[in-house]
Amino acid sequence: MTKRILPVFLAFVMLLALGMSAQASSQPTAIVFWHSMSDEAGVLVEKFVKDFNDTIGKEKQITVEAVFQGQYSDATTKLNSVLTAETYDQLPDVMNLDATGKVAYFNSGRAYTLDDALKADAAYDIGQIQPITLNNWEFSGTKLGMPFAASTSIMFYNKTMLDAAGVKAPETFQDIIDISAKLPEKTADGLEVIAYSVVPNTPTLANWLGQLGSDMVNNKNGSEAMATELACIENGALAAFLTQWKAMYDAGALRNVAGTTDQFVAGQLAILTTSSSNITSLLEKIGGAFELGTGYYPKVTPEAHFGATVSGSCLVMFDKQDDARKAAAWELVKYLASPQVQAEFAAATGYVPVNAGAQDVPAYQELVEKHPQYEVPMSQLAITPAEMKSVTVGPAKDFYYAIQDNIAMMLDEGLSVEETVETMAEELGGLLRQYEQANK
Amino acid sequence: MNLPGPRGSLMKKARPYLFILPILLFAIGFIYYPFIKTFLYSFSTVNAKGVITGFAGLENFKYLFSRRDFKTAIENTLRITAINVPVTVVLTMGLALLANKRRSLSPVYETLFTLPMAIAMSAAAMIFKVLLNPTVGYLNHALGLDFGWYQSREYAIYGILMLTVWMGIGFDFLLFLSAFRAVPDQLMEAGTIDGAGAIARFFKIQLPLISPTILFVALTNMVLAMMVSGPVIILTQGGPARSTTTLIFMMYNSGYGSANFSLSACISLVAFALTFAFTLMAFYLEKKRVHYQ
Amino acid sequence: MMGVRQRSKLVGVLVQVAALGLGLVIIFPIVYGIFGAFKSAAEFSAFPPTFWPGSFAYTQNFRDALARVPFLRYGLNSLIVATLGTTVRLLFAVLAAFAFAFYNFRFKKALFLVILATMMLPGDTLLVTNYLTVSRLGLLDTYLGMAITSFVGATQMFMLRQSFLTFPRDLRDAGFIDGCGDLRFLATILLPITKPVLVTLFVQSFITMWNAYLWPLLVTNTNQMRTIQVGITMITSFEDTNYHLVLAGVTLSLLPSFLLFLILRHNLHRNMTAGALVG
Repeated sequence: MTKRILPVFLAFVMLLALGMSAQASSQPTAIVFWHSMSDEAGVLVEKFVKDFNDTIGKEKQITVEAVFQGQYSDATTKLNSVLTAETYDQLPDVMNLDATGKVAYFNSGRAYTLDDALKADAAYDIGQIQPITLNNWEFSGTKLGMPFAASTSIMFYNKTMLDAAGVKAPETFQDIIDISAKLPEKTADGLEVIAYSVVPNTPTLANWLGQLGSDMVNNKNGSEAMATELACIENGALAAFLTQWKAMYDAGALRNVAGTTDQFVAGQLAILTTSSSNITSLLEKIGGAFELGTGYYPKVTPEAHFGATVSGSCLVMFDKQDDARKAAAWELVKYLASPQVQAEFAAATGYVPVNAGAQDVPAYQELVEKHPQYEVPMSQLAITPAEMKSVTVGPAKDFYYAIQDNIAMMLDEGLSVEETVETMAEELGGLLRQYEQANK
Repeated sequence: MNLPGPRGSLMKKARPYLFILPILLFAIGFIYYPFIKTFLYSFSTVNAKGVITGFAGLENFKYLFSRRDFKTAIENTLRITAINVPVTVVLTMGLALLANKRRSLSPVYETLFTLPMAIAMSAAAMIFKVLLNPTVGYLNHALGLDFGWYQSREYAIYGILMLTVWMGIGFDFLLFLSAFRAVPDQLMEAGTIDGAGAIARFFKIQLPLISPTILFVALTNMVLAMMVSGPVIILTQGGPARSTTTLIFMMYNSGYGSANFSLSACISLVAFALTFAFTLMAFYLEKKRVHYQ
Repeated sequence: MMGVRQRSKLVGVLVQVAALGLGLVIIFPIVYGIFGAFKSAAEFSAFPPTFWPGSFAYTQNFRDALARVPFLRYGLNSLIVATLGTTVRLLFAVLAAFAFAFYNFRFKKALFLVILATMMLPGDTLLVTNYLTVSRLGLLDTYLGMAITSFVGATQMFMLRQSFLTFPRDLRDAGFIDGCGDLRFLATILLPITKPVLVTLFVQSFITMWNAYLWPLLVTNTNQMRTIQVGITMITSFEDTNYHLVLAGVTLSLLPSFLLFLILRHNLHRNMTAGALVG
């Protein structure tokens, strides 16, 4: 009997292969939309596209096919492969891109930028889009894409725990040190209580440097042109931050460990700093176990500004050398940035609506009323200094890990701030120089 | 097929080459051709789009060897290999010895031992990620431990090793089992009559006979361990503080993640050279020590 | 005094108990993963962590996973690609192993090393160039394009050669003298004997290809051509940790390879010894 299984199995598969082949639908204007939204957000994006096809699409004879392209970095790898192979017909009309793909898109030679689209459609009021999110996708003075999923780093805290200890939510690193002294040693479940735990990386370090009025790298954190050197050494900003960071660690208020959402949910960690896009899932996971507080991203020193840079992703368009397709792509982008869609998206995920009009949508108003936590990222963005830009560097991943590694080493190995500044300057600067040399 | 005359003998001579041709063609087209491009990258300046813009000589290698994380990556990779290979060989050989004699429950535990083979790497990695999570994971709780496997600079590499060893259990167990069972019964019985105990029989009879399998298992595990990157990408991203950065992870990270194609080309050449050297060493050992009937 | 027979019986029981215990330890992660698929998000965040799910009737995770991902279609795609890739890979490997095991020819050693060395070239460096090749061949968005880079199986070739080498040479020579052509010898005598090894390699290769993620993602552009591993990524949200859903997706993706394994396992064990890897 079992002898037969393999051949039968093979034959079955061959039949399947014959019977299945990809069919493409041919409609007046069919466009392709690549996105990287997974889980809940992925379901929503598919729904938005379907709604678009059923309404505006029907009216204007446009059909959008939404295709999931893996996580942002996978999608960027794919974009790079297409561009290197020059198989431009494989490019989508609209793509959901994060910072990893920004430069590749800018240099693609097939970009149909937001500025281009705005020129073609004078009637669209770009003023409705939150300026700080819009600026985030500007490169070399060109608005590349429409912000779509915007988030910012904020602080979450276990309000129940802080209340029991009789302390207020912290605003500065020093506050965290003070709070840590008043927290109990163990939770009710017998777990060790930790005040705060994180290892800085590119965006979070940029936040803290930005609070001190410093960029991390030159050319406005790489937003105006390729970053070629560090901008936080001579002005002492890096040293100032590291000094405070070390103080927090030495006082026992900080753990040198990243990825601690689970500990926070379990009630072991008092303070968590992470993306505001986690509000919904945190509320869900915590259930009623404790009260979730949100606050502004903690400040390095009392004199520093509040604020954190914008992160997330945008929608870029490609020039498929067909005006009808460009117009169709623009319709989709406008729709996805509309108040209604942004309100719904924000409510379900915790992203910050990029469209100011979303605040007037009842669904969003109800949400903020019920969970005031959602208001924090919005108001934090409003007070974040406009010159605080997120960091764009060529050697993105190496940069990210070099920062983490060096700061973790400083604490673990007990290195001094000066030594750390020196090795960081050397290592990070070296990465930038190497990249500049290869990409002159 | 058997043609008479000189043409026939020509055909006969060509035949082995014809058999090798398909695999060779595809190896050239899809492995060596891209690899040679990689090779060129390592001696060139390459821009972020992957276009060669100039000749760099040995500059890329110099830069690579000057990087602190490269040293760490080499150390971690060798460490993973040095632990993974012997542990896998001894563990799976031990399991195979245990299961060697057919008993009434053999089918049950043989299936249990081989089951990891049916699990895809990414699936296994996700399960381990949850299982070894310090808060929601069951392992720490069950063992009364209190540290994050993948969050600790000391232990993260063992967390990775746990997964790589576990993934190899099924297949390698099967190989050893079939090797042990192929040892002729007469030989073992003769050993018993000669008064050799179980341990003596293992070292004198079984071990020499299964030595080709040992070589094979060690060799494939060595190559896999030298090339390990998947579990690192999913579980630790090379961290914390580069404690699990392997060569191939660095290649992936510094190459694709940081648009430094010449650097990733250099790393893959280094990885290749090391692995190839180990393989040649293994073959040299094979000639000297491995026993073919 | 215990009799010899009694003693060996006791040893047998002990060995089996130990083997069962070890077996359970080995499959523990799998069981844990599958159980996790039946836990709710709240159960996962509850302390202390549990091994058993609250109820096996809790299937919301599976329903959510299925609502997010067309697992059936993706699974079929993976099935086709993995089967195509594995079959061709084994075919090529058998032919090459046959030549290396039974023929003497010039450059034999060098060619053998050339093929073996493919194992040591990290696949990631080859991605972009191979993408270029596949797109030039017009194979983007096809099953062949997804499978074509896995046709070379050096491990498989190596193992088959080892296995072929165990075949007594005089028997083969006798076969040749009988006028049995070498391909016929391969097909009618050698392969049937090597079947257990072939089945093992098939299962192993199939599962590796079932696991492929980045390459199929790169060379396909449409939803209809996606494979199952892409489906899993659709469930995981990268800034967050939704273990319950991920494990449900993992469990769903495991089913087919599990099934294949269990069906073929029977076959793979029964006469494994016949083609064993002994010198």
